[in-house]
Amino acid sequence: MIERIAWLWPEIILFLATCVVMVLGVSPRLALRRQCAFVSGLALFLAAMVAIATGPMATSPWPQMVPFMKGTAGFVGLLTLLVLAGTVDREVDRDQELGRGFAALRANRAEFYAFFLFSMTGLMLCASADDLIWLFLALELTSLPTYVMVTISTRRSRSQEAGVKYFFLGALGAAIFLYGFSLLYMGTGSTDLGAISTQILAQAEGGAINDIAMAGLVLSLIGVSFKIAAVPMHFYTADVYQGAAASVSAMLAFVPKAAGFIAILLLVSTVGWQWGVADTAGVSLGAGHSLPEPVRLLLWVMAVFTMTVGNVLALLQRSIKRILAYSSIAHSGYMLVGVIAGPQGARFIDNGVAATLFYLLSYGLMNVGAFAVVASMEHKGEEADDLDALRGLCRTRPWLGWTMVICALSLLGFPFTLGFFAKVPLFTSGIAAGEYALVVILGINSAIAAFYYLRLAALPMLEEPVGEAPALTRVPARIVAGVLSAGAALGMVLVAGFFMERAARAAVPGLFDGTHASQSATDQIARSGERRADE
Amino acid sequence: MHNLAGPLSQVASSADVGVPAQGPAWASLIVFLPLLACALCGVCAIVPAMRRTKLPAWITVALLGVSFVLTVLLYQDVSAGEHAKTVLVTSWEWFHLSWGDAPGQQFVASFGFYIDSLTVLWMLFVTGLATLIALYASEYMSHDVGLGYCRFFAAFSLFVFSMACLVMGDNLLLLYLGWEGVGLCSYLLIGYFYNEAGAVAAAKKAFIMNRIGDLGLALGIMLTFWHFGTIQYAELFPLVAPYVEALKAGDIGQIPLVVQAIPLLLMVGAFGKSAQLPLYVWLPDAMWGPTPVSALIHAATMVTAGVYLIARTYPLFAVSELALPIVAWVGTLTALLSATIAMAQFDIKRIMAYSTVSQLGYMFAGLGFLTSTGAAFHVFTHAFFKASLFLCCGAVMHGFAGQLDLRRLSGVSFMKGWGIVGIAMLIGCLNLAGFPLTAGFFSKDMILAEAFVTPGPGYALAGWILLVTAGLTAYYTFRVFFRVFVGPQHAEPGDEVHAHDGHDAHFHPHAPGWAINSVLAILAVASILAAGTYFIEKEQHGWVGKMVHGSTAAEIVVGEGEHAVRAAAFRHDLVGEHAIHGESHEPAGDHATPEEAGGSSIAHGSFLGMDPHAVMYYVSSLFGIAGILTAAYLHGPRGLFGLFIGSRTEAATSRADALVPALGPLVQWARHKWYVDELYDFLIVKPLWVLSHIFHLIDQLLIDGLVDLMGRLPSIGGRSIRPSQSGVLHGYAVGMASGLAFLLLLVWLLTL
Amino acid sequence: MTGVIDQIGGMLAQAGYPAPMSVLTLSHYLFVSAAMFTLGMVGFLTRRNLIIMFLCTEMMFQAAGIALIAASRFWLNHTGQSFVIFVLTVAAAEAAMALALVVLLFRKRESLSAEEWAEMKG
Repeated sequence: MIERIAWLWPEIILFLATCVVMVLGVSPRLALRRQCAFVSGLALFLAAMVAIATGPMATSPWPQMVPFMKGTAGFVGLLTLLVLAGTVDREVDRDQELGRGFAALRANRAEFYAFFLFSMTGLMLCASADDLIWLFLALELTSLPTYVMVTISTRRSRSQEAGVKYFFLGALGAAIFLYGFSLLYMGTGSTDLGAISTQILAQAEGGAINDIAMAGLVLSLIGVSFKIAAVPMHFYTADVYQGAAASVSAMLAFVPKAAGFIAILLLVSTVGWQWGVADTAGVSLGAGHSLPEPVRLLLWVMAVFTMTVGNVLALLQRSIKRILAYSSIAHSGYMLVGVIAGPQGARFIDNGVAATLFYLLSYGLMNVGAFAVVASMEHKGEEADDLDALRGLCRTRPWLGWTMVICALSLLGFPFTLGFFAKVPLFTSGIAAGEYALVVILGINSAIAAFYYLRLAALPMLEEPVGEAPALTRVPARIVAGVLSAGAALGMVLVAGFFMERAARAAVPGLFDGTHASQSATDQIARSGERRADE
Repeated sequence: MHNLAGPLSQVASSADVGVPAQGPAWASLIVFLPLLACALCGVCAIVPAMRRTKLPAWITVALLGVSFVLTVLLYQDVSAGEHAKTVLVTSWEWFHLSWGDAPGQQFVASFGFYIDSLTVLWMLFVTGLATLIALYASEYMSHDVGLGYCRFFAAFSLFVFSMACLVMGDNLLLLYLGWEGVGLCSYLLIGYFYNEAGAVAAAKKAFIMNRIGDLGLALGIMLTFWHFGTIQYAELFPLVAPYVEALKAGDIGQIPLVVQAIPLLLMVGAFGKSAQLPLYVWLPDAMWGPTPVSALIHAATMVTAGVYLIARTYPLFAVSELALPIVAWVGTLTALLSATIAMAQFDIKRIMAYSTVSQLGYMFAGLGFLTSTGAAFHVFTHAFFKASLFLCCGAVMHGFAGQLDLRRLSGVSFMKGWGIVGIAMLIGCLNLAGFPLTAGFFSKDMILAEAFVTPGPGYALAGWILLVTAGLTAYYTFRVFFRVFVGPQHAEPGDEVHAHDGHDAHFHPHAPGWAINSVLAILAVASILAAGTYFIEKEQHGWVGKMVHGSTAAEIVVGEGEHAVRAAAFRHDLVGEHAIHGESHEPAGDHATPEEAGGSSIAHGSFLGMDPHAVMYYVSSLFGIAGILTAAYLHGPRGLFGLFIGSRTEAATSRADALVPALGPLVQWARHKWYVDELYDFLIVKPLWVLSHIFHLIDQLLIDGLVDLMGRLPSIGGRSIRPSQSGVLHGYAVGMASGLAFLLLLVWLLTL
Repeated sequence: MTGVIDQIGGMLAQAGYPAPMSVLTLSHYLFVSAAMFTLGMVGFLTRRNLIIMFLCTEMMFQAAGIALIAASRFWLNHTGQSFVIFVLTVAAAEAAMALALVVLLFRKRESLSAEEWAEMKG
């Protein structure tokens, strides 16, 4: 147990920084309070670097994914932090600058940054989870702070409405996957993912997977899909993204989603992609390269509905944040295609999990830019969230305008942007896995997405400005974040190969080789390494 | 027949093409400095204080200049020693996807550079000319200081970056990236004056014509990867070598059809980019762009990309039965056709554009005649003199408010402050006309001679056509010179006159400033000096020849001391002409006495019974001077330099005008560019128009409703499920719960 | 009384169920926990009071807890029981957060009904 600490240094660094931020944030001195963002950023950077330097975590079902996802979380989190800066306490700070004294009760900077760091800690803990208990705690640690962040992000009642919806529905989702976890434990006798995997395979060889275990897995997947905003757990998304400050929405679109996908990959890895589809029982082991039929069907239906519902609802919106929220639902659907395809094939382009991981990284980077544009514009003291605010933005606010154009095109998957290189592997891996129908639906949905993404790109670029240009926020860091994000959407193309290589390496499962299982489980269950060795 | 593996190892060892050494890392700066310049121009566009200055120009000039200096250093690095060497510089791995360890199971494309003397030759004039032309443009574009200025220089720098990727890339994918990049920049710059409908149409035309070519190139690259399993030059060339060996052994049957198809596809790309028949029509229209752009992109560098592509992948071309003869004939016909069009045009910039197409035709013909040296040498000399010609035209256009009609200008050289322009123009014209002992003379001569030397399908006829074209070239070149630059002083301003002073009653042409003059002077001097390179390293067809032969591509085709063992009748001279740096090199390149040439073991073609190498100097001089004299007779001013053959005392020319009716409709046709645009319009656009109307009808009657429905389906779908987002917490909870129940039931019923 | 129970027991036994009251099997606990989970969810869907809705989610959490403890006993290891400790901790944290949220919301609208909060939609 103690050796696991060695893999947890990134989380420890973040936790220590959280403590520092909680103290700094309540200081009556403005200069000290302003250090919160710097401390958080430094901690995230350090954590990401340490995670990358630490290397693979042997006990995880995806040993190489641990450093990859922690690094991704750290750097996308850093970009998100630039947008988050200045979300809260603006009035408190202004009052203090004007000499009206420090209203300690109204200030909530300490909570805000601490909760952000807690959430990032939770995300990183998700990446290093190898046990259901751990995974449950990490998922809750990721989500609980975000409920508060949404609620306190603005003083409008919309934020509180978003908070109440997010919290209550989130608790419902958490209860569902917790119940799933408990059934999974009941069906297999262990919470260790490796032991669960061993046990499930042993059951399958003995006839069929235990119904309770399978029901637990299905329930867990449905519950966890709340985090990635997949149908039918997607209802909260648009309202929450719209109600929260754009900066917090930028974070919501990445952090819980990344945690959710990690959790899905961990859960699915307990059964693995080694089942025959054609078999009538649907659970025959070693016959093919797909998930067991119940899981595959579940994810398939979820992926199709998630893509479609997200895209068609995004078509009708006028609020930029709602468009981005619905499109984030659709993106989850795209990524589920990669999960269904699974990590087979030595080629990067055949490896669905690698495609999902690379997409997650790309999506995180591009998405921050789009939200940063919204967060940077103000109209009558509020965020300029309406589509009209984008009109002619390239002329009036060139930095923001072009950021929006580039990010929207990249999110659409326009050729020679990062989004294109991220989306193509999803297609190819789907084809390699033989999921032709799914790939066709993915293609149709990409076409539907073009309707609204092209609108987001065309409004700033081609339209004439209407009225006066939206005012700029007083937080220049957000514009910097937007430009960095747009730069990444274009520049990462040149080094895409490097990150694809990393993603491909991260997508090598550790459970399949039969070497990983906890000792107690090994005592109980006869190992069946030979049949799984060929995978 | 040899075992194919044998020659492979033999060639690999003898030519040492297997593993090129690592080159200096700073070489990648040559590529990335222009990109930095582009980014900085973007910054200038955003910062208002910088936008109002000429800063973008100075940034561009400075960084491109550094890039040029680095190229010179690289040249010294590469060409040090007896033979030029090949080095690789890898910046980073762009794509490295593998699905096995065997060759062909990896797709590798690095952001790396393959540097041999061919690369360096191209980069020398690309960066050098780009620096000079950027300097010129700093003054030329000065009316546009502001956002347009930043846009111009950003696109300009991006062009140089793309061109550098194209030339220096160590794999075909990077070449393709550069290829598309230069196409994009060309599009942006042709359409620079986007308020004018003509410029936009021209930009679109260029883009579409190039897309047709690019499709061929892309297919060629895919086929290359499919067959050879690699697109890295360093790995590709050794794989081609066995086929070349098979060819030398006269066993063409050994070469698979796929390999023969690759060059045909690459060729289509080259034709598009280098404006050859039938894809040439975009280049004259590209003159809508600002003149510095015409000079750099559409005369000196980008349009030679096609020549570079063929020269770089020469081994691939060499193994195809069809490719090189097609290249030769397309080049020849393009040269003739565009020269005849140029004779009848009045817009001097357009004349230069057609002459560019025509000279590109010469280069392609040279490649087809198996003298890649000649082609590259012509690219090199042409780059200098055509750039200087364009820049002179640009200076005229700039100074006379957009006037380009040669009927409305006369005696420009004698106006105050126009001396340098006049002299530069004269030097450029002499070069283009192939006046004896100029650079253009030597390079054109090399191609012409080879037409008669190389046995090939009708190559002698092609040689005659090219000779006649040389005469026509001399005529139309000096038509411009005599009309515009000498004779009685006369100038009518163009239609941009209001840009200078409010009332156009008193139009004063404004003479070029120091930037334009100095650039013209440098280019004029350079185009004279380019002739000198012919005499350096004479035994290898001049300095350029040495550079071309030093390239790995040529080495594989040639091999050392190979040229005595030829069986394939057509092919043997391929190798003969190129077997130059072996000891057994025969003195064909020296243009020595016929006895020496005749004494060699290879049977040359002949020119009227004489050795072409020996007599071509005189013959082509004859044609060139005849062309110039004709121009002097028809368009020259009275009393010109004691020649006394001209008659012109005013801007109009009586002799030429009198000749027009005698020639009948020919002049009219040439003036209308042989109606090629109209022909394309009739053959392609009109049928498409008719078809599209038919389809439109069908569309409206049948499909429209369906498509409309399809298009609306998403938003109908959206509307129908929109009520699910009622905003009420309980609605959402019910949705989640029923979704959960639905999924559980589905999974349970369908699978368990 | 005993006879009736025996009679029911016989019927259940015929249906494949273990005899009631004689042996408590894992299935019994599973049924109880499933019932609690379902009740919790139904309560969440039907009640409008925010506090009661939250308590319903707590009930769903505890349903999982029961399943965990029963399974722990069944498999004769302690993992499930330690899991329950963590579940309780998280539930407590959520409760604290819920109460804070409810107080905030009540101040804003003077009502605890969830239906007060439906401004954003579509």
